[in-house]
Amino acid sequence: MAYPDSAAPIRADILAAHARAWAWIAAPGNWLTGAERVAIAAETRHARDCRLCAARKRALSPEAVTGEHDGPGVLEPPMVEIVHRIVTDPARLTRRWFEARLAEGVEVTRYVETVGVVAVTVSLDTFARSMGVAPRRLPEPKPGEPSGYRPASARMEEAWVPLIVHGEESGAEADIYSGTRGAYILMALTLVPEAKRAFFDLVETQYLPSRWMQAFDTEHRAISHAQIEFLAARISALNQCVY
Amino acid sequence: MSGGGGGVAAGKELAAFAEAVAGEGDMAAAISALRRKVGDAGWVDAAGVAATFNAIDRVADATGIPLEPKKAAVSADFRGDLDIDAWAEGRG
Repeated sequence: MAYPDSAAPIRADILAAHARAWAWIAAPGNWLTGAERVAIAAETRHARDCRLCAARKRALSPEAVTGEHDGPGVLEPPMVEIVHRIVTDPARLTRRWFEARLAEGVEVTRYVETVGVVAVTVSLDTFARSMGVAPRRLPEPKPGEPSGYRPASARMEEAWVPLIVHGEESGAEADIYSGTRGAYILMALTLVPEAKRAFFDLVETQYLPSRWMQAFDTEHRAISHAQIEFLAARISALNQCVY
Repeated sequence: MSGGGGGVAAGKELAAFAEAVAGEGDMAAAISALRRKVGDAGWVDAAGVAATFNAIDRVADATGIPLEPKKAAVSADFRGDLDIDAWAEGRG
């Protein structure tokens, strides 16, 4: 994935990670086809211009405003609602909202994979915007069917979705927390292991690998640990993220 | 809306950059100011951090992942002072 329009050279490891991320979106996943995943990425981009989302964002409660989302209309309405709310008003998502989507027929596995595709797309598009360039062109979907793979060790814990609890990883997921301290956020997408792997591949490249996060005696980036954490905290505060 | 720099080098520029990422500021101006302070490599690294946290916040919010007990304990005082717990409880 190239950025020939960028005013500054992009690190080679970021370019490689972005290429992997776009390829991951285009390919069939565990529960979604490549076409569905690219449609989710497209919907992610459209959400920012959705009039219903804008009206909900202004409302005291997003549930107080009803209507139809603007967008390409490729995905089923419950999936559109999921994508738009995660993109435009994530801080006001509730367990009740999540359970309503399941009641509408969205399987939790497809929900988690959708969260992963939205998050990867948001990350890639945020990077482009932060570099002052246009979002990259969406990939062509790859043919094939989803694998239908669900890890046997995933179970319900405190989160809304089933996940692999740190310390209980096994089988094909035995290495899923390798080299980490097991922060809870690492567990969030593990119901769909490839979504976890794809998203955190991007995280470790764009932010810091786990082994560097608390290695305060060495600076591995052109901005310091303090600057990195200050920026991260400011963005999370603006997003009203309480994690 | 950009406030202080938190005692961090280029803090004001980083804060303005964060606000532009969140859609609350002029991205071109934020980039220009940040680039002058941290250089091209610093700008690219800041873009990577912004791209990460603008997305990871959404993963946390959309999956209802709880805060680790250890982090909750060490942040209990200022979470209370800032009313963050009440804010979180309101999300159900």
